[in-house]
Amino acid sequence: MAASVEQQQQQQAGPAAPGAQQGASIPSLFMFPPMIRDALETDSSNVQDDTVDEVLPFLTGKEHSQLNAHGIPRLDKERHVRFVKKQLGVLPSMYVGADPSRPWIFYWCLNALSLLGEDLEPYRARLIETVRPIQNKTGGFGGGFGQSSHLATTYAIVLSLALVGGDEAFEVVDRRSMWKWLCQLKQEDGGFQMAVGGEEDVRGAYCASVVISLLNLPLDLSSDSPAYAAGHTSLLSGLGEWVRLCQTYEGGVSANHGVEAHGAYAFCALGCLSIIDSPHRSIRRYMDVPRLISWLSSRQYAPEGGFSGRTNKLVDGCYSHWVGGCWPLIEASLSGPEGPTAGPAGRPLEDTDVDDSLFSRNGLIRYILCCCQDMSKRGGMRDKPSKYSDAYHTCYVLSGLSSAQNKWRLVASRADETLLGDDLWEVLPHTKGEQIFDEDDRIGTIHPVYAIPQHRVDAIRSYFSSKEGF
Amino acid sequence: MPAKPKATAKAANPEPKATPPDAPPVTVGERSKQRYYQTNPVERRFEEVGFPGLTPAEKKTYTHARLILPVANRQVSLSNKTDREYWKQVTKEGLPCRRLKNNYNWGTDKHGRDISTYRIDELKKRSLSQAKLTALNVLHQQFLLKREAARSKGAKLPQEDIDQEKQRRQEMAVLKRELYGEIPGPLANDPEWDDVIPIPQEESQDALARIAYPDDYAEAVSYLRAVMASEEYSPRCLRLTERVIAMNPGHYTVWLYRFKIVSALKLSITDEIQWLNDVALDHLKNYQIWHHRQLLLDHHYANTLSSDAEAAKQFAKSETDFISKILSKDTKNYHVWSYRQYLITKLDYWSPFELATTQSMIEDDLRNNSAWSHRFFIVFSDPSISTKGSASTEHDPKVPDAIIDREIAYAQEKIKLAPQNQSSWLYLRGVLAKGGRGLDTVGEFASQFFSNLGAEDEEVTSSHALDLMSEVYHKQGDIEKAKLCLKELSEKWDPVREGYWKYRLSELK
Ligand SMILES: [Zn+2]
Repeated sequence: MAASVEQQQQQQAGPAAPGAQQGASIPSLFMFPPMIRDALETDSSNVQDDTVDEVLPFLTGKEHSQLNAHGIPRLDKERHVRFVKKQLGVLPSMYVGADPSRPWIFYWCLNALSLLGEDLEPYRARLIETVRPIQNKTGGFGGGFGQSSHLATTYAIVLSLALVGGDEAFEVVDRRSMWKWLCQLKQEDGGFQMAVGGEEDVRGAYCASVVISLLNLPLDLSSDSPAYAAGHTSLLSGLGEWVRLCQTYEGGVSANHGVEAHGAYAFCALGCLSIIDSPHRSIRRYMDVPRLISWLSSRQYAPEGGFSGRTNKLVDGCYSHWVGGCWPLIEASLSGPEGPTAGPAGRPLEDTDVDDSLFSRNGLIRYILCCCQDMSKRGGMRDKPSKYSDAYHTCYVLSGLSSAQNKWRLVASRADETLLGDDLWEVLPHTKGEQIFDEDDRIGTIHPVYAIPQHRVDAIRSYFSSKEGF
Repeated sequence: MPAKPKATAKAANPEPKATPPDAPPVTVGERSKQRYYQTNPVERRFEEVGFPGLTPAEKKTYTHARLILPVANRQVSLSNKTDREYWKQVTKEGLPCRRLKNNYNWGTDKHGRDISTYRIDELKKRSLSQAKLTALNVLHQQFLLKREAARSKGAKLPQEDIDQEKQRRQEMAVLKRELYGEIPGPLANDPEWDDVIPIPQEESQDALARIAYPDDYAEAVSYLRAVMASEEYSPRCLRLTERVIAMNPGHYTVWLYRFKIVSALKLSITDEIQWLNDVALDHLKNYQIWHHRQLLLDHHYANTLSSDAEAAKQFAKSETDFISKILSKDTKNYHVWSYRQYLITKLDYWSPFELATTQSMIEDDLRNNSAWSHRFFIVFSDPSISTKGSASTEHDPKVPDAIIDREIAYAQEKIKLAPQNQSSWLYLRGVLAKGGRGLDTVGEFASQFFSNLGAEDEEVTSSHALDLMSEVYHKQGDIEKAKLCLKELSEKWDPVREGYWKYRLSELK
């Protein structure tokens, strides 16, 4: 089906065009179905069309009572804070499915509260008491008391402890048994299992790198590690090569070798690579960067504005982080260390007012603020308007909003390759181009690799960097 | 022994006749109060008028009643002779030495209701239930002793006894729930689990995100912790895992444990797979099921399939049949596709059949990117025609030209049906990279999806064609045309990716 721009625009400018509220200026890009559409219908195109129908009333302001001049509702922080706090309280029995992944709730909620500017001090003692029984003597944390240690829940707990901060929180972790356990998870092919006997995938590579570098664990591999027999001597040896084989023909990254490219795994791969070496070295070394950027970029759809997780799948608020969070790492891999920003007397940071971002920040911000907020009494953030809000989406939608609102730069790369994750990053509000959200709605920032605030990363790293051995 | 004072002993100090007779008590508390006054003469008068208001006789009774208590309660010890004298006096005077205490604490029931507010008949019913429970408990203790005795002789109790005990425990459970709100779960009621001391989860009230577990679940995972800690691998544990999985299929620990049981007991893998099929159909989105299946496959392969090619083929066939069934319900299920790939690699099942079933899924929905990804996998990871460890985006010289040609033709055929479908374009690019062929080899093909570029009557039916052609023009040295493609993408055909197209433009310099 061939269509000219003129024809489309004529159709779209008709009287039946979905009207924005009086005076609000919404680019037509976010008000109408895309310019090029195939006539052939399949299941995938039908659900895609349904999704566009679902989000358009939210994007065009029909579903909102108050909009700013750009046709965007405000971020209702109070409402979302209430939702998150409720998630940290007693959860009804229908949450039994969350029993093996409860530590995630700690991280999602604490990180969301932190992004929304809340004080985490009141949660420190409660968190410490809650996670203590979840740690296993054989190393690592499970989903709950008596559950096997798992890299995902261990990652979530280590990040949660870092979020509340303080020596007492850091001291909860038994580093020696953690190291032993990680040695058990390290596989012959260089990757990590999620649990002893569990699946091996790129989440393991990322979660292990985060835990190792935040806790400053020794890299030596114990001789009873399954990887030791295969000739590995370090926890990280062969890891970059293993991650490399997760890149697919599409350019994206899959859970493990040969599977379909998926947004969440792209973030895990780039996060892992940015820990084992500075992104401009390791991402370039292990990834086909042009194909990767092309794939990441095609995750963003119009009119929705948000990201999808896979080719021909639907937008979902959580990919605001999984895909949106890849951009600072990609930018750092392209530009390398840029040096510190000049002080007030020096050269202005922004040479030009033109937005040179690789993705549409405003498209993403539009999707998040118009479609992902639950404005009912419930509050919280969601996948899309037809879905219920939850702690997971609240955390990652806000994380994505933060990465769209702020700009991270790699200032200086690590002095020595063995200094894991020791790059210097800097964040500033993104100010280039048109700002479509109210300044009050700008939220906190999270480190592009560790996904918690930078000063929290610095605090836990400096606490453990003074440790010799265990 | 002191002589017991008779309640009927003639009192030398009768109570004043003014006191009206009490109405029959309604509640347990009222009855206690009445009994208290009955055994504590003058007490009500004292409460009403105080000590000075009492008659001299009442004063005497009241004082005596208080004075005799320390001796009656053996708080003061007397010599034998004095003791005899004392009890003689008490009996003679009819002094109240067997006094009930005031405000007797009846406690509360399971709802927190004070038992003193029970009606008399309600209490009677409750007491009956308690007596029944006590009786059942005696029989229950007898059962335990009998079983212990049988065990020490290496014998087992007859099934009849066990069935009776089960029945008994159910009755006891009903009574305990009724009386005390205790809910002994089905495992505590099952004599089979008597030797296991469950390990409950004890959390403080203000633990973060504390889940109000359903009772049955809390009980089952308490037993699970206990048997996992003692590393028990037995049929009853297998049943326990099934119980937990039914309540919470995402419980990864129970799955890992279940696999250990299956391998330790050398259970039939086909039986386990059969069971797993039903679970998978009930929980389409669960992924632990598919990892469990992968562990079973590894186990089965190591023990049987690796040395029996025919069995391996049969197994691969039945597995792919079941996978197809699941995929027909959930065509893009990531974990199912992932397992399918694992299966093919493990069993070396690079069959034409596999290519055909994948092809039919692509034909059902040309935009099913999972099916396209699987096709890429079965074509380019087949060890007979590919290099092990070759990255997906790089040239693999081992792949025969005929296969590259075939796959290019396939992608092109599908692109023509839906030119804006990115799945087929990505596949085409992937094949070209594997074959080490330049994008320019499909330049002519891609050019049919746009016309009059840059002119007023520009037409584009595929933004992906423009994207690809910008690279082709660039390679051919036609920078201006390459730029034009990107400019049109940025401004007209795919403006949400404006930032990316501009970056590509900046790279052309
Ligand atoms: Zn989501």
